[in-house]
Amino acid sequence: MLQSTNLIQLLVGCDAQRIDIHSVPVVKNSSDVYSQQFAKRGDGLEENSSPFNFTPRTIRLDKDEEFFVDGDVHRHLYLQDLVTPLTEESPSLNISEFQCHIAGCKQLFDTLEGYEHHYNSLHRHVCSSCKRSFPSNRLLDIHILEWHDSLFKVMADRECMYQCLVEGCGLKFQTSKKRKEHLITTHSYPSDFRFDKPKKMKRGTKEEKIPQQDEKRLTGPGNVVSRHGELENCELMDFSLTQESESHELALPERQKPHYTYKVPPTICFGHGSVRGFRGGRKKK
Amino acid sequence: MWRLKAVRHKSSVSVKDLEEFKQKRREHEKVLRQARRDRQLVSKRLLLNEEEQEKELMETNCAPLSQDQIREMLHNVQRGGEKAAHLAMLRKALRDPQTHLIFTKLENSMYVLVGQLSGHNAQCQLEAVRCLYELSSSSHPGVGQSCLSATPYLLTYLSSPSAKLTELCLYTLGNLWPDGAVVKEKLLVQGMVPALANCIQNQRCNLAVMEAVGFTLSQLLQDNDAADKVIPMVMTSGLVPHLISLLTPDPEFGMGVAIECAWCLHYIISRITDTSMLITEGLLSQCSNLLITLGGAVAKGRTDDCVELLIWPLLRCLGNMLASGVREPAGCSAGVEDVRLLAALCVFSQTYLTSHCALSRESLWVLNNLTAGSFVLCSAVLFLKMVPDLLQLLPFSNGINTMVLRVLGNVAHNGPEYCIQLTQAGLLSVLCATLKMADPDIVTLSLEVLHLLTASSPQIAEEFIRLDGIPLLEAIQYNSEESQRLRASCILDYYLHAHSMVLLWIKVSQKQR
Repeated sequence: MLQSTNLIQLLVGCDAQRIDIHSVPVVKNSSDVYSQQFAKRGDGLEENSSPFNFTPRTIRLDKDEEFFVDGDVHRHLYLQDLVTPLTEESPSLNISEFQCHIAGCKQLFDTLEGYEHHYNSLHRHVCSSCKRSFPSNRLLDIHILEWHDSLFKVMADRECMYQCLVEGCGLKFQTSKKRKEHLITTHSYPSDFRFDKPKKMKRGTKEEKIPQQDEKRLTGPGNVVSRHGELENCELMDFSLTQESESHELALPERQKPHYTYKVPPTICFGHGSVRGFRGGRKKK
Repeated sequence: MWRLKAVRHKSSVSVKDLEEFKQKRREHEKVLRQARRDRQLVSKRLLLNEEEQEKELMETNCAPLSQDQIREMLHNVQRGGEKAAHLAMLRKALRDPQTHLIFTKLENSMYVLVGQLSGHNAQCQLEAVRCLYELSSSSHPGVGQSCLSATPYLLTYLSSPSAKLTELCLYTLGNLWPDGAVVKEKLLVQGMVPALANCIQNQRCNLAVMEAVGFTLSQLLQDNDAADKVIPMVMTSGLVPHLISLLTPDPEFGMGVAIECAWCLHYIISRITDTSMLITEGLLSQCSNLLITLGGAVAKGRTDDCVELLIWPLLRCLGNMLASGVREPAGCSAGVEDVRLLAALCVFSQTYLTSHCALSRESLWVLNNLTAGSFVLCSAVLFLKMVPDLLQLLPFSNGINTMVLRVLGNVAHNGPEYCIQLTQAGLLSVLCATLKMADPDIVTLSLEVLHLLTASSPQIAEEFIRLDGIPLLEAIQYNSEESQRLRASCILDYYLHAHSMVLLWIKVSQKQR
């Protein structure tokens, strides 16, 4: 290799220090020589007849330029050829199985990572009023606003208040129905998008919506009549903390509308990061 | 600091497989080159869970699973019980690319998977994403399209607080992206760019997630049509300052994140005309500082750490930024503050000459863009005594010597004093050699540089004559290329003739005495 010691010294030597551009002595052409030379160039060659055309110029290269082929191939060899281990995990500590500490959640874990993932997915963004859990802060905020803010209804009558669920879209709509249409047409979201279930406003409609399926489920485990003596028919906006946490996948055709209730007593306050929202904002009397 | 997390497979290749591995790599490279020519160069990224690696290697010998077996697995997942375990089984089956089409063609298969993905069992969620991730790595675009029903959830989970889930979603989305125009369009309207911006903001401290964001974003940006839609979206999304700030290798995590972000920035810069926003965000100084540090690492001989993976995109960012940025007329420093950057570029061009000569060439390209029109940086080339090093590179082809000649021309163009210093460093004798080369471009460029030198001072012309330069130029006068003939005779007639007369006269008068 023909590396020069002089340059290596500059970069790694013990005296390798930043060399400020202003400390570089600028080479000056002694003025008389320079002007003389210019005159001479003019003498010798008429500008337009000169065959010489070198001018210093920067070269801009497009992404697809031939010049870049080797580097691109090298990059893709790296992407394809090298098998990268997913997030190197420190050998997981061996600990005896333990239970999620959130009341009503009976999930067991044998690794801290598993617990951490579980907690982050299910208990991080939880609404304090109705215990629904959301995958992100933003969806939780929207939920709290739309479901539990008493002013929301009033405001929504006057201006568009239903925010689009897509990050960065920023549009607002008069009704949740219009938002749904927007999600489907503009963002090609599925019509059964799990995190867009409208709040049922009147108890009347709610009861209508508790058809046979629910009766079936009443006998099932984990179904609890809420503290208000009313069957809480949550319109599956999200995950929730039922004991029977496995039973609610995106409904298959045969069980279109899964319903479930909460086991968590309302007096239980969840730990750090779990309680958000307007406390008692929507308590039924 | 320069550790690359991803070299595991290399060490796992045993010596007896090494030849086979090399052969495979060569063939693979050929395929990639063809793809690049067709502007179809895309990659999917294959991750391997560590604990699975060995198992997977053993399983590769198994016979491919039948449709019935996969249907059975799917039913198991539906039926309940140990769902997570059944999903894990399914995921392992999906490691075999042959199963991908079978799976997507099964009735309800995606529906079940999306159900698990959006469900509220965290473990099942994770396993479902893993299944989707396996499907996303399929080379069959139809598979990618059938994953579209999952994308709204994958995008939603980019703002999930669970880093592992987010990381998997990112790689899945990044792998899905190249699967056709329909997928791209869908992902964009579903808000992919803002989702990525949000993710990079919220998970900033998790470097594994950052690497995944970088990869996924680079998939979007390297698209042939990125300039129309994706790049404007990215530029206004607030992603760019994050990408720039992530250009710092982490002592613990290595340089994976910086590599991905640097490629993203390269794809942006090579496609936009106005880079002033990036320069004000500090990209230029960030790139040059990092290159100086990398130069130090390379100078210490740490080339086996794959640092070139990071040097490459950084060079491109810098080079194109210099070519499109508006130069400040007075200082002409092009925003460079530490001139050791020039030394680093020179060290790269020397070190990678044999292993990656394209990298040498690109380093010199950046050097050209730095020195073009900047007398300060040209002075720095002389001040750092880089000329002898550059001259050593002149015998090498593949575009290396043309770039070196351009750099030397940039320096010479600044006037006689620069020319004199170049000559003192030994430029003329090397030029005598390049004038004899077969490549017409080299000869033409050499003539151009020679013209700058001889025109600047009579002493240099005399020196050239003393090195027996005249016969060389006379030989070029018989060249088939008219442009070369013209240049050679021009130098002979206007700059050397007078001096040769003088010299002749001196010789004659000396004899007479």
